Amino acid sequence: MPQLIPFFFLNQLFYGYLALFALLVLVSWVILPYLLQLQIVRLLITKL
Amino acid sequence: SPLDQFIINNLLEINSPFLNLSTLNFSTFSLYTLFVVLVISLTFILSIGGESNNLVKGSNWLIAIEAIFDTILNMVKGQIGGSVYGRYVPLVYTLFTFILVANLIGMVPYNFALSASLIYIIGISVSLWIGLTILGLFLNKAVFFSLFVPSGTPLPLVPVLVLIELLSYTARAISLGLRLAANTLSGHLLMSILGNLVKNLMSINYFTFIFGLIPLAGIFAIVILEFAIACIQAYVFAILTSSYLKDSIYLH
Repeated sequence: MPQLIPFFFLNQLFYGYLALFALLVLVSWVILPYLLQLQIVRLLITKL
Repeated sequence: SPLDQFIINNLLEINSPFLNLSTLNFSTFSLYTLFVVLVISLTFILSIGGESNNLVKGSNWLIAIEAIFDTILNMVKGQIGGSVYGRYVPLVYTLFTFILVANLIGMVPYNFALSASLIYIIGISVSLWIGLTILGLFLNKAVFFSLFVPSGTPLPLVPVLVLIELLSYTARAISLGLRLAANTLSGHLLMSILGNLVKNLMSINYFTFIFGLIPLAGIFAIVILEFAIACIQAYVFAILTSSYLKDSIYLH
């Protein structure tokens, strides 16, 4: 199978983990805080 | 060959006379990881930008993102619960969106299926497993090993059960990733093989062209099934990660 050529193993792992880490930072610092803030605002509007 | 779709090519090579920098080569795989990150970030940026910026009710895209967030939040809450579940939501959300987008990009014809790369996906699941074991040992200290002894086991059976439980716990490291990679791999191979078969059948003469529409409808159904599998496998990966997290935190 072409995806099991050992030459690309480290390349796959390096870029794969890099992308996953970048996404984790983006999600936990930007996307999820925004969504949470939106939900809190809605909660305040409906309960006030 | 149907396996040609998984070939990784170097798009930009980095060479040095002193060091082996082939790890940093920009390959097809790197390009698609970049695509996944770009798709997720651009979907978010475009959904909060424009006229819907800073509105309490966002655009339809933002509602879609919120629906995914709610699903993941409820899933993690249901699995882990307590007062600590919120800490693990970003991890599970990241894994879910990453795998979902990677699977869906892979479903676009002539694109590369990122999650069919066994080494990468199993690498993620092994890393998760190591992380969960460290988390379990950190939170529960030596009591963590009670995970391998089901409650109510008769004493003579304990050595045997510990071995079996240890085996099943260790197998999680591989099975979590293998499930996803094998599903994606087999799905893409099936579509490629059947597609080529029908193409060859339909290109013989007019009669086989008309006759070939029947298996073509079947392939169309398989493609729809693969789209469903792309979403379901991302969900399965996320739910199993949360379940393993629960095991590490609460031990059973």
